[in-house]
Parts: sequence; structure tokens; C-alpha cells
Amino acid sequence: MNGLTLIYHFQSSQNQDEDFTPASYRIVYFFNGEGFIDPKIILELLKAFPDSNYQQKSFLNLDDLKAFALRLAEEVEASQVRLISVQDYNIGVDGAKDLKTYRELFGKYGEALINDQVVKKKGLFGKFFS
Amino acid sequence: MEEFRQVLDPVRPGEQWFCYWKTSASLWESRIQELPPHEIIFIPIFWGFHAEAGGMWDFGKFHPERDLVRLANILTRHNRKFCWLLPLTPAPFLPNGGLPVSAARTLSVSPQGMHLACLDQDGTLHKMYSFFEPKVFQSFTSFAQSFGEMLAESKSKSRVWGAEFYYLENKKAISFLNDSSVAFEHGFSRYLKKNFPDGVELNQTLDEQIIKLAYQTDVGNLLQSLAQDAMAPFWQGIQPITIFGAGPKDTIERALEEGKTQVHYFKELFESYVSHRWFSTCLLTAKEKKELLRRCLSEHFSNEEIEHRFHYLTDSAELGSEFRPYSLIDVFDHHRPKVFEKNGLKPFLNENFRWMFHLHGELEFTPQWIDSSYHRVKFFHAEGMDRTLFAQMLKLFMMGQRIVFDCSNLSDELDRRLQVFYLENNLKLQSVNFLSSINLCELGEGRLITFEGKKLENADDQNKFWGHMFKFLSMNHPKVQSDQDIFSLWRIRATSPHELNYLDVRRVNFYNPTSYKKSVMVNTQKKFAFMKVIDPLHATAKMTNDGVEVELLPNGKLALDFGHYEERT
Repeated sequence: MNGLTLIYHFQSSQNQDEDFTPASYRIVYFFNGEGFIDPKIILELLKAFPDSNYQQKSFLNLDDLKAFALRLAEEVEASQVRLISVQDYNIGVDGAKDLKTYRELFGKYGEALINDQVVKKKGLFGKFFS
Repeated sequence: MEEFRQVLDPVRPGEQWFCYWKTSASLWESRIQELPPHEIIFIPIFWGFHAEAGGMWDFGKFHPERDLVRLANILTRHNRKFCWLLPLTPAPFLPNGGLPVSAARTLSVSPQGMHLACLDQDGTLHKMYSFFEPKVFQSFTSFAQSFGEMLAESKSKSRVWGAEFYYLENKKAISFLNDSSVAFEHGFSRYLKKNFPDGVELNQTLDEQIIKLAYQTDVGNLLQSLAQDAMAPFWQGIQPITIFGAGPKDTIERALEEGKTQVHYFKELFESYVSHRWFSTCLLTAKEKKELLRRCLSEHFSNEEIEHRFHYLTDSAELGSEFRPYSLIDVFDHHRPKVFEKNGLKPFLNENFRWMFHLHGELEFTPQWIDSSYHRVKFFHAEGMDRTLFAQMLKLFMMGQRIVFDCSNLSDELDRRLQVFYLENNLKLQSVNFLSSINLCELGEGRLITFEGKKLENADDQNKFWGHMFKFLSMNHPKVQSDQDIFSLWRIRATSPHELNYLDVRRVNFYNPTSYKKSVMVNTQKKFAFMKVIDPLHATAKMTNDGVEVELLPNGKLALDFGHYEERT
């Protein structure tokens, strides 16, 4: 599991009475091989994304979520970030039977985004991982 | 490799469990003889393992590994204390969560929408199946009936505990019954139709969540009552058990290269201790249950503590010659934990009395508990408080205990009762205005302090307020200054004849599960005399003018004994 992995949940739009909640892509888990990314780092970076819902940790479209994921990858100097939807994760779990096959799902499902702007100099947040 | 084999024993995964289905029935007797004779043995029941075709249940007729009567006979023959643990929720250490294959139809789904799956000691991935499938309910009912009949026929005296399994995520204990699967949704819509025949408008997401929780609770209660009825003569009660490493976040973390750190497991263990939740480490591998965690478990959470948690042992009011767990504070939040967050009590305790307090959802108002908790200061709040709890709180004060009561949002009825209580008992109120209006009254050794927590609006005020409050309460205990990742537990015992100068002896164990060197300072405050260092491992201690300074290397631990020589005020 090199690089970052982001598991997200797609919530379809909801319309109850006069309240309309648009569809959103919510960050569920964000981690690398060493563990989960500190939620404080995620929140700090979310603040820099005007299209994000800071409290819900969500975005209105997948492209914004991808942009955010790549931005975080730059900060922590990860060569790639893989986005896996909860649905894909569940398919992977259904097919897994042990630790080995479970681990494989993180390299098999979802979409890998290559961070081709790997910053040579460490970013502010990268210091947290040194 | 040899050491690894010794530690990793799937038949005995921890907390004195004996997993009969994981070994050949021909080895049961020899394995049981290996177990320390004084330990009570807990036998989790893998109920799906006993399923036969046609809805029949096998207890040894077809497979010797299912012969629970023989297992009980072996245990009885060897004079072993034992009891059964019957899962009332999906069990993360069992294939399919314990369900028979025929009933495992819909996978359980976490609140985040993820299928619940848990890695066990062997690296096997167990998928949890929904308990809300109608077929599960039928199977469980039939199994509980057959198991109860088997116990009755075998004339066994063994007891049965219903076990509710939980996982920890973001410091919250979540039941394995908590399910967002299609099976749950279908069941929920049937529940709505039955309970709200005229329809119900769920305008707010919160409304839906409340009714869903009620449905989940009702199903849980139904399973409990079914099991209890089927095993009435043998039924001992319900035991909630938190399984470490079982949550969806844990499963991911445990699969990572680094795995879940020992520090994380220590945090979960100590938070469970503070929240008074029992736990199991049955899923943890030998690598995860590293030396320090294993030592901590055996020093503080072995047979005696287990027997306490399962109510086979109770503490007497008087201290004995053996060390027992010691804490200073009881916090009763009656399942509204945010009140003590908002008024700053919990952050203050975490900063100043780490691991020295217990959080309780409910008050266990029994004579044994009241006597054994006499020395602890008790905190209550008024939000959602009912008359019974209010009366019990006042009784504790009348019995000479120290009570601190956040009376913000106290109902008019209880407020009137409080005023009448003051008058009837001729109690003189001393009032002080310090960041909040505080009233104090005394009766013998009892202290009742009321204040309005909602007036403590910012962290500075809260710190000042609680700092003064605890100074007044005079806790009489060494003050410990340490890093957040150092874990400590206190114990207490009576003095032995050659220690007559002391009122009691207190022992603190320090653990450093990190990979960094850490320091700890214990200020003895002229009330405690440092006696000795016990079992240091990668650790040293030295006396200073203020107390004892401890240095703990990575994976270091030690214990210190202090003699208490001042009378309690």
C-alpha cells in the first residue's frame, strides 16, 4: 500500500419538505501505510477548499474531492493517492477471506491518481510525517 | 518463532476464554488441565457451528467438537469454575459473526456504509451478517431453546451470560447490532408500520435516527428476553464486551504495514477501564499483544478483575492485604456525556486525574458498591435526571459521601424537592459566588455542593473553577505529571503489621508503550512517603525534594509504592 488511500461515501441528494440536501462525496477514511492522516491536517486543508463542506468533510462533486486528495498527496509528498468508494470497498471485502486478500483490495479497486507534482521541498503538513 | 507459537493460542485468545471449536474434542481435557486451576473459564458459544440441516442443532450427536455436555463434564470433573457466553449480537471473532450459514444472508453495514469485517488472530477475515434478517431471529430462537434444553438435560450447574459485543471507533463504543444494511431497513419499515399504523412524518434526520435506535434497542431486548426465558435457571445476566481491533477503522489500520500501534491499544484499554466497559483482546495477534500490553493485562485485568466484572467477587468496604484498583472520582452522566464536557469537568479530569476516575452511565445503588466507593467524590448533573436518581444522590450525601451536583437545567419539581430536603434536614447552606453560584451544605462527613455548570462558559473559567473545587475537596493523593502517552494505574491495600505508621499503601504502575524515552514526576505533597520501586523494566526512579522522578525507556514500566500517613479530611 504505497501512497495514500481515501475511502469516500457518495450520498445521493435528498429532498425532504423544503429542505434540499445536494448529493455529496464525503471523506470516510484517509490513510497511508503508516496509519490514518491526522484529522486536524485534513480539516486545515479543507479550509483552503472553498467548495468543501468543512464540517461534513464532503464535496459536491468528485472532481473537487480528487483535487483535494491530490493536494494532500502533495503536502505529504505521496507519489499517488487512490480513491475508493465505499461501494467498491464493500465489493472488495465480499471477495476477501484473509489478511492477504483484504490488503489486495486497496491496490485493486478504485481510481489511482498520480501526483506528478511531487514537491521536492517538504510542505508544512509534510513535517508532521517526518 | 517458538515464542510466537507460545503466545498465539487461538483456543485461549485472552481474558480466560476457551474456544472449544478451535481444537479437536480429543484435546479438550488436556488443554483444560493446562489452565491455571483458580481461573474461571469463559466459553463463548459459536452457535452457528452447531447448526444441522433441517433447523436441527447438534450438541455432539454428529460431531464430537459440538459436544458441549462432554465439555461441561470435563470441566466439572476437574473442579473448574466456568460459564458460557452466548452472543446476543454478531460476534467479531466468529465466522459469519457466529450465525449459521443458512441465516447469514445480508452483510452488516457500519454507519459509514461499510461492510463490517474483522481480522482475527490468524489473519482470517470474518464478515458480520445482519441480525435483522427474519431468518436470524428464527434460528436464534430455536438455538436458544435447544441450548436451554441441553443444559437442563445435562443437569449442569453452569451459568450463561448473554454477551453484547461492541467495537470502539472515535472513542465511542458501537454495538455490533448497529446496522445500516438493507435487512435493517426492511425490518425498520415493518417496525414503523406496526408502531405507527397511521403513519409517521420523519421531518428531521434526527427523528429517524431516534426511531431507528429505538428499533435496534427493541430487537436487542427481544433477543435478550428470548435467551433469558429459554435458559431461565442458568441465566446470569448481560455483559457488554468491547472487542479491541474489531471496528471498520481498526480492520483497515490492522491491515496496514505499520499496523495498529501499541499506544492505540493502550488508549483503548485505559478508556475502557475509565468507562467501566469490559473488553476482550481475542482478535489481537501476538505482534499486537506485545510484551508491555501483555504485562499490563496480566497485572491489572487478570482473574481477579475478571471475577469482579462478572460479579463473582465484590470488594468489601475495608481494605485487605491484596492491592485493589483505586480511583478518586465517580462521574455519573446518565448517558448524557456532553454535560460534563461542556462544564469542563472531563477535560479537567483528563488533565489532572488521568485514569483516576470512572465514568458511569448509571448509578449502581447497591450496599456493596456504596460501601466500596465511599472514598470517591461523586459528580452528577441535572439534565434528564429522574426522581429515583435524584433521591439516590441525596441518600449518598446522607450516608456521608461527597457529592458535587451541576444543577443547571434542574426541573422545577426536583428543585422544589431539593429546597424541601434542605429544610427538612435543617441544613445550613453556605453560598459562594465564584464564576458560578455555589452552595455547600454539610451533614456529618457528607458534603453536598451544587453549582451551575452552564455559567462556566470558557476553558479558562472552567479550569479556575475546577482547580478551586478540587483544592477544596482535598483529594489526598500524589500528583502525577506525565506525558499523554504514559499510562498509569493506581491500586491500594491495607498496611501490613510492619507498616503500622501508614493509613494505607498505594501502588502506581507506569507504562511507556511509545518508542521514546519519557519522564514522569510524582509529587508526594508531604502526605505520602515513597517506599520502594517494584519490577522496573527499562526504567529507573530517583527521589527528589518534591517526590519521585521516573524515567521510562521505550516499552519501559515500573511500579512505585507509597505509604499514606495523613488522615482523610
